[in-house]
Amino acid sequence: MSDYLLMAISAIFINNILLAQYLGNCPFLGVSKKMDTATGMGMAVIFVLTLAGVITWIIDVYLLCPMDLVYLRTIVFILVIAALVQFVEIFLKKMVPALYAGLGIFLPLITTNCAVFGVAVINVREGFNFMEALVFSFTSAVGFALALVLMAGLRERMATARIPQVLEGTAIGLVTAGFMSLAFLGFMGMV
Amino acid sequence: MGLVREFTKGLWDEIPPFRLVLGLCPTLAVTKTLKDGLGMGLAVIFVLLCSNVLISILRNIIPPKVRIACYIVVIATFVVIVELVMQAFTYELYQDLGIFIPLIVVNCIVLGRAEAFASKNGVLASAADGLGIGVGFTLSLTVLGSIREALGCGTLSLKIPFTDISHVYNLFGPSFKPFAFMVSAPGAFICLGMLLCLMNIIGNLKKS
Amino acid sequence: MREILKMFIVLGIICGVAGALLAGVYTGTMDKIEYQELKFVKGPVIMEVLQGCTNNPVDDRFKLKYGEEEVKFFPGVFNGKCTKMAFETKGSGFGGDIGVIVAVNISEDTISGMGITTHKETPGVGSRAKDSVPFKNSFAGLSINDDIKIKADGGTVDAVSGATVTSKGVCAGVNTGSTIYKELKDQIISKAKEIK
Repeated sequence: MSDYLLMAISAIFINNILLAQYLGNCPFLGVSKKMDTATGMGMAVIFVLTLAGVITWIIDVYLLCPMDLVYLRTIVFILVIAALVQFVEIFLKKMVPALYAGLGIFLPLITTNCAVFGVAVINVREGFNFMEALVFSFTSAVGFALALVLMAGLRERMATARIPQVLEGTAIGLVTAGFMSLAFLGFMGMV
Repeated sequence: MGLVREFTKGLWDEIPPFRLVLGLCPTLAVTKTLKDGLGMGLAVIFVLLCSNVLISILRNIIPPKVRIACYIVVIATFVVIVELVMQAFTYELYQDLGIFIPLIVVNCIVLGRAEAFASKNGVLASAADGLGIGVGFTLSLTVLGSIREALGCGTLSLKIPFTDISHVYNLFGPSFKPFAFMVSAPGAFICLGMLLCLMNIIGNLKKS
Repeated sequence: MREILKMFIVLGIICGVAGALLAGVYTGTMDKIEYQELKFVKGPVIMEVLQGCTNNPVDDRFKLKYGEEEVKFFPGVFNGKCTKMAFETKGSGFGGDIGVIVAVNISEDTISGMGITTHKETPGVGSRAKDSVPFKNSFAGLSINDDIKIKADGGTVDAVSGATVTSKGVCAGVNTGSTIYKELKDQIISKAKEIK
């Protein structure tokens, strides 16, 4: 049990997928301008990433490895993720309209979110077992959501601050992300 | 004239990842050294050029409803080819870039160009566009990689893939204390932010 | 209806062509990739256990069948004769399988060296086994007929401090190596005569 706890802490704080592993930076800078969109995106990523991480793990271990098709991993994973996102979208629309209203517009964006694909690949490259893959996918996504929401909080404040004209927009976003990443470096050595 | 224009717009006006804020993950992750940045750039040029050309050829055949799925299959195919070829011929680079080679699949630049350009334009124009954006991306990666490696390690390492040419230049002599911040994650973000700021300043000067 | 049919046909054809293309590229690069992996991942360890050999063990490699599996052998030529043979076995450590390269002196039937290729041991604890020179040296000269054990189990090998499980796993890997060697000894020696 303590192994899983350590893995969770490591994935959320120390090796945060956004700030230490550089995965999923496009939505990080793209949808972090407002708090409510950031929360919506964060929730959508937690939902899809956990599902995608587990499903791609099952496909890799029970389908690709026994059939000696490991070289097709990239193409199979991305198709599975794309199909999964479509499926989740249709499912939510029909069954849970309230949730769909909140997450719907973020779902198509997740297909090309490198965090989802990256975690799926890390799961199989590290040779995780099923529980490890599940815990790692979920906590990585939580780390993503945490960083995204924190960033949105900062950027909402920045909207009213006076920023030099040449730094406006993405430039100041990147510098802010740099300082956040520096703060997260402080967790290093905790595990 | 038209083709030249499609090519050159990728080098400044729409240079990724500065003007088109896409494809940030590899930009931040593989620019610790000059040689990794260059290798990644070349891989992206190949994928972008091939996928743009093929999608442009198929643009009238692909039904609009499943176009994204088709684009993804085409792109993923070229990415796997790059992955296998790199593994076979430049194994050290393959180890350095690691997970970021399969991640070209979800590099928003590639899918972005397929959707925004190749699906609407002819083969030659798409090829010029893919090549231009690819070269622009490679330029950004090499510049960023050079700055981070020079300050962070005090060296510049150049290795041209598929050849034996490789050099490591020691820039500042033995008394140089490496600025290790630059090769760490926060350094990557701040360095990219500062470069973007510099580009804005140059843009302003050009305007006035 | 016709539209949906067209969608499936186009997508199917694209996937089929992509799959065929990839299978082609994969078969074309397979041997080259295997060679690169040997050269960069196992190569340095093989060169270490066969230090001083005058040939290129990776280029001279050959395969033999051991039960269901194929084992790759890397011959080492010393003074014009192939006297040592390196090959990879597995032992289970703390975090999973440990890849162990065993070098056997085929004229004396002794173990001449041991090296570790891949492992998932705890960094800073079990991982030290990979670089510990005294630990690796304590295998040299042991007979292939001995059951190799760490000192705590009544054997002769100095375990890496704090990494008993890893050390035991490596010993098990070397013992498997002895078994494989004894089983295939005749074939190995006849192969070794061909290599100069």
